[in-house]
Amino acid sequence: MTLWKHELRLLLRGRLSTVALALLAVLSVAALAAGMAEVSRQRAAIAAIPAAQAEDIAAVADYVDRTKDAGSAAYYSFHPTWDAPSPLAFAALGMRDVSPYILRVRALGLEAQIYDGDTFNPELALPGRFDFAFVLVFLAPLFVIALFHDQVSGEREAGRLRTLTALPRGGSGLMRRRTLVRLALLWAVLAVPFTFAAIVSGVGIGAILLILAVIAAYLSFWIGLAALIGRLRWSSVANAATLAACWLVLVLIVPTLAHVAINRAVPVDQGAEIALAQRERVNHAWDIPREETMRRFYANHPRWAASAPLGPEFHYKWYLAFHQNGDESVAGQVRAYRAGLERRDAAARALGWVLPSVGVQALLTRLAATDLTAQLAYQDRIRDFHRRLRDFYYAYLFNDRPFGKEDFARAPVFGR
Amino acid sequence: MTKDTPAPILIDNLVLAYGQHRVLDGLSLQVPAGSITALLGGNGAGKSTTLAALLGFVRAQSGTVLVAGVDPGMDPDAARRRIAYLPENVALYEHLTAAENADYLLALSEERKERRIITDAFAAAGLQERAWDQRLGGFSKGMRQKVAIAVALLREVPVLLLDEPTSGLDPRATVDFNALVAAVRDRGTAVLMVTHDLLSAADVADRIGFLEAGRIVEEVAASGPERFDVRALHARFAVAAERLAA
Repeated sequence: MTLWKHELRLLLRGRLSTVALALLAVLSVAALAAGMAEVSRQRAAIAAIPAAQAEDIAAVADYVDRTKDAGSAAYYSFHPTWDAPSPLAFAALGMRDVSPYILRVRALGLEAQIYDGDTFNPELALPGRFDFAFVLVFLAPLFVIALFHDQVSGEREAGRLRTLTALPRGGSGLMRRRTLVRLALLWAVLAVPFTFAAIVSGVGIGAILLILAVIAAYLSFWIGLAALIGRLRWSSVANAATLAACWLVLVLIVPTLAHVAINRAVPVDQGAEIALAQRERVNHAWDIPREETMRRFYANHPRWAASAPLGPEFHYKWYLAFHQNGDESVAGQVRAYRAGLERRDAAARALGWVLPSVGVQALLTRLAATDLTAQLAYQDRIRDFHRRLRDFYYAYLFNDRPFGKEDFARAPVFGR
Repeated sequence: MTKDTPAPILIDNLVLAYGQHRVLDGLSLQVPAGSITALLGGNGAGKSTTLAALLGFVRAQSGTVLVAGVDPGMDPDAARRRIAYLPENVALYEHLTAAENADYLLALSEERKERRIITDAFAAAGLQERAWDQRLGGFSKGMRQKVAIAVALLREVPVLLLDEPTSGLDPRATVDFNALVAAVRDRGTAVLMVTHDLLSAADVADRIGFLEAGRIVEEVAASGPERFDVRALHARFAVAAERLAA
């Protein structure tokens, strides 16, 4: 039997190490299963969109076809957008549980529609979703502490250290072997279930290898910390308490304080305030002379300026114009809000270079496309789609073209 | 073994200090192959430090230490390959069986033995057969020492170091243990034991050295004209201990 097998047997005979490894394996599998179930639920919701959309549009089309009014079509038709989860999203759900991944938009003011949903569920936002990233970043260090806090001190306290170091292969080489065996087992109980889930989910080999390397690096950080504490020659209890305190500081306290500090350093209004401001502008527009509204709209969108002047009766082109004016009036706020979020995100990512827990979390959500960058990219796609939607309906409205049942089929579709 | 063959344990004029405190102060000692030397001395006399120097745990300021021709300060691993060491409290892995412990310790000694050879060594060490495959959790100190001495037997090294081997053993277990050590000596091993137990030392050792303030102040042999008697030894030992305490 090789020394590696001996070390493996020795470790697996220990009750604490066996229970710890089994528990971490169970947590990994449970987190991956929960992540895959959530992603599967989101995919199912997205897959159900076309049928639900067809049903909705059919109902609107029957009504619109009677009036042939493009304004009614634009007003009553919701158009779905969605942010399909990446293959890796199951591992790090990131913002997908607190931000909408399906948004049905109308050709009206967009900003209120986007930021209406910008109110996080604090219950979910604070501890984070129970996913693989949570197990790796928050829980795995505790298992490192359980397996490594007494690697040397335990031998000293049991009276074996002198016996071991008196043997030719019992000194530092022995501790290196034990470290590698424990690291390999911890890594395996995280990596094997993850790899299986990743292959099933269709994750590319490059991303899988990168995450496997991240797991090894993060575990190594905590093992290195345990080794440093171990060099102080304290008792096992003191080592465990010190490492637990390090965990508390590095995983919970410092990231939380940094989060507060970043939020204070980069003040950003709530997204809901943009929605409110846009709505107020839109509501106020009812009190503004219609000509003034149209003048402002045509100044910004001269391609529609040739449209026939408004008559005394209500016309949807005026209604949609003041919605768009409302969007444009909060454009500065939107830019500032987005820039603020990006500055906060950049600061958090910079923190990740010195704080492994933050760095790993940021890297996983980036690879899984579930971070703020992905969320903003989805908003960009919504804005782009909404622009096409407006152009589509405006072509009917500002040219007074009738809008029939068959025209719904010509409406732009998200993602095409 | 000829007269010219160097002793497996050779210490000459060894000086070793922790800071300003000289623990070994010109210690010289030779333990020839096939002999047992007991080092007696009070607490702080330098007994454990002598073993630590032989095992390469500490490095001397001056003097010579050789274990079967190897300087443990220069090449501790090579020296440890030539040494079997039994600490005062033999602590093995409680969740492994006696055979598994032996197998593991042998592996750490870069040796591999078949089970039959291991169990033969257990039998030679007086460990009952039903204990061979039992976990060590319920073993007495005497039984643990038998496992450890069996490993020492199996390693077939030229040097055996014993640190207070009989402390905590009952008289019967002490007699059994000494018989085992004598058997190891008879195979040609150089045995150095440090102990407080004068009776046990007198029972098994070929020579006894009295260690005081880091050097041997008196050395007596078990045979020949300087053959020791226990009463006289006890008196000397008591005087030496009082001097050290003073």
